[in-house]
Amino acid sequence: MTRRIALLLLAMLVVAGCTSSGPVAHDAGRVVLPVKQVPVAGRLYATKGRALYRFSGTDLTRLRFGSRVKDPAVTSAGDRIAVAQLQDQSSTIVVSDPNGQDRQILTPSSVAEGSLWALAPAFDDDGHQILYLTDRGKQPSSPQNLQPNDLAVWAYDLATRQTRRLVHPFAYTGGDSDPSYRPGVSDQLVYTTYLYGGAPLEPVARLTWMSLRTGATVYLSPDPGRNFEPALSRDGRFVAFIRGGAGGDDLYVMPLATTYTDELRPYPSDSAVLVQSGIVAQPVWAPDGSAIAFLKLVNGSFDLFILPIATDGAIHAAGAAQAVTHGSFLDADSRLAWSP
Amino acid sequence: MNHSPATGVPDAPGSRRVRWIALGAIALALALIGGVLIYLSPLLALLEPHEATVGRVAGAPAAPPPPLDSKQRINILLLGSDNDQKFQQDALLSQTMIVVSIDPSTHQVTMLSLPRDLWVEIPGHASAKIDLAYAQGGAPLARATVEKAFKFPIHYYAWVGLNGLVRVVDRVGGVDLDVLHPVLDDNYPNDFSDSGYGTERVYLAAGPQHLDGRHALQYVRSRHGDLLSDFGRSVRQQQLLLAIQQRVAGTDLVAALPTLARDLNGHVKTDLDLLRLTQLALFMRDLHPGDVHQAYISAYLRDATSSDGQQILVADWPAIHAYLRQLFGGDLLP
Repeated sequence: MTRRIALLLLAMLVVAGCTSSGPVAHDAGRVVLPVKQVPVAGRLYATKGRALYRFSGTDLTRLRFGSRVKDPAVTSAGDRIAVAQLQDQSSTIVVSDPNGQDRQILTPSSVAEGSLWALAPAFDDDGHQILYLTDRGKQPSSPQNLQPNDLAVWAYDLATRQTRRLVHPFAYTGGDSDPSYRPGVSDQLVYTTYLYGGAPLEPVARLTWMSLRTGATVYLSPDPGRNFEPALSRDGRFVAFIRGGAGGDDLYVMPLATTYTDELRPYPSDSAVLVQSGIVAQPVWAPDGSAIAFLKLVNGSFDLFILPIATDGAIHAAGAAQAVTHGSFLDADSRLAWSP
Repeated sequence: MNHSPATGVPDAPGSRRVRWIALGAIALALALIGGVLIYLSPLLALLEPHEATVGRVAGAPAAPPPPLDSKQRINILLLGSDNDQKFQQDALLSQTMIVVSIDPSTHQVTMLSLPRDLWVEIPGHASAKIDLAYAQGGAPLARATVEKAFKFPIHYYAWVGLNGLVRVVDRVGGVDLDVLHPVLDDNYPNDFSDSGYGTERVYLAAGPQHLDGRHALQYVRSRHGDLLSDFGRSVRQQQLLLAIQQRVAGTDLVAALPTLARDLNGHVKTDLDLLRLTQLALFMRDLHPGDVHQAYISAYLRDATSSDGQQILVADWPAIHAYLRQLFGGDLLP
């Protein structure tokens, strides 16, 4: 007993000696704008707590979807938005007008093979086609008969309502992610391929270019390594992406060739780091190519930043990144979208 | 008027004042100790002996824990297992075994994952997968099995149930980590259903993100959609431990211990004493990301089938011991 009391008193002294604050709580509340607001050119979309927000100028608007959403996408004209609408254990792709009204569900939440995920929509240049991820086409699975249900890249034609699978993912990797049409051309797309590489095997993420005309795919980043969340500039000349490393997740950018027939060697040939030393996610280009918005982890909160970019000569940051939000705990697993 | 009970002579004013001051000091001390006891009572409950007793073979580590002011390495065996309605509470397979090795002299920490399918000699029992040790003899047998196979002393253990992990993550405000690949699992065990036997569909996007306790558990527990199966899960488990450590680094974890203990009552068991727990909390607070290292033995394992038809992992023990000597220097058992 004496020993326990001694221990307690010692612990009390130790407790008394600790003066630092506790961990930051994850805030489910409102989006917080800094005192000195950073105006956003055009309309920039992000989600927090699975609700969709639009930043425009110094205005912040919460769009009422009536359900939980993630992965907003917007047409180049800004007249339609698409989101992944989440249910309990499934999701669908929904398009609407820029205010979240006039909604139309594009994909089923379940089919004969079971419930489905549909995620990460992305419009083509003229807003007629949507790329998205889904586990449609999987084999029925049970604990006694496990089957892969990896995400594949599919396309949806808004005019004909036809869907088609574009990519077959590697089994048991979780599948592919981050699909986007390449602006300026109608037959190219870029996405992230997830696979395993190295010895011993470890998770690998590779930027992947695909020709819809020939079906050819080319890796734009090395194996091993983790390069993901590609974001194409509106003119299709550059791709911003995240490179994962031991010290964090950095923002890079590199130019794209007109087309590819062989894999880049060395990878990536002309990439430049824009934001280093931190955890960065979900880059998206400004419509005029003058900036990249992204989420960055600051004091336990993912917040929205805008980095001015110069693409004359060697691509580089043209200034410091500015915080659009502060302590807002935005959803870092949800894409950003930016329209004029 | 007060009188001295022995003499009936009135007390001098100075002596009364001293007595009141003494009584006040005693009352204050009692209140202080009582307050501290109430404040720390959840922590004391957590630190009470909890070990499963089935088939216990050894209650103490092979080597005594180093003294408090020692610079010697301290090894803690982290055990994680199902603790829902599917299983008897004292007969759980350990789904997770990670040795956290702390070197106070260099301020470095190494996490070493032990795969659950590893075929080992379990002291007092037949050879089996290493996850059976905890089910057959609780933490003491798990400790003895690890010590015998890997030849390093396990000074302490800490067992965490599924709910415990969820609560730890939620208590620290969630974790921020980089999900290494998309997690899709159509047959994820729904641990919190009434029967404990249901399944649910799980999806986690790849990339940096914030995870609450429930989703962090899904990240480290799912293995159906991972080509690397249990090894992939080991990588994710260590990643989560790192994320928790980074979440609490620089924060007042020691002051939060009683609250944490109240949340975790019944979901965490350990033989760490209060003083060591406090020391560890302080140690964790000052760790930097580069101070924590991840280690695996997968390079020294091969797939095999046991005589009773189980899919197992067979170790190249000389190679593993050489690897451990490289990791831990001369701190192995003879």
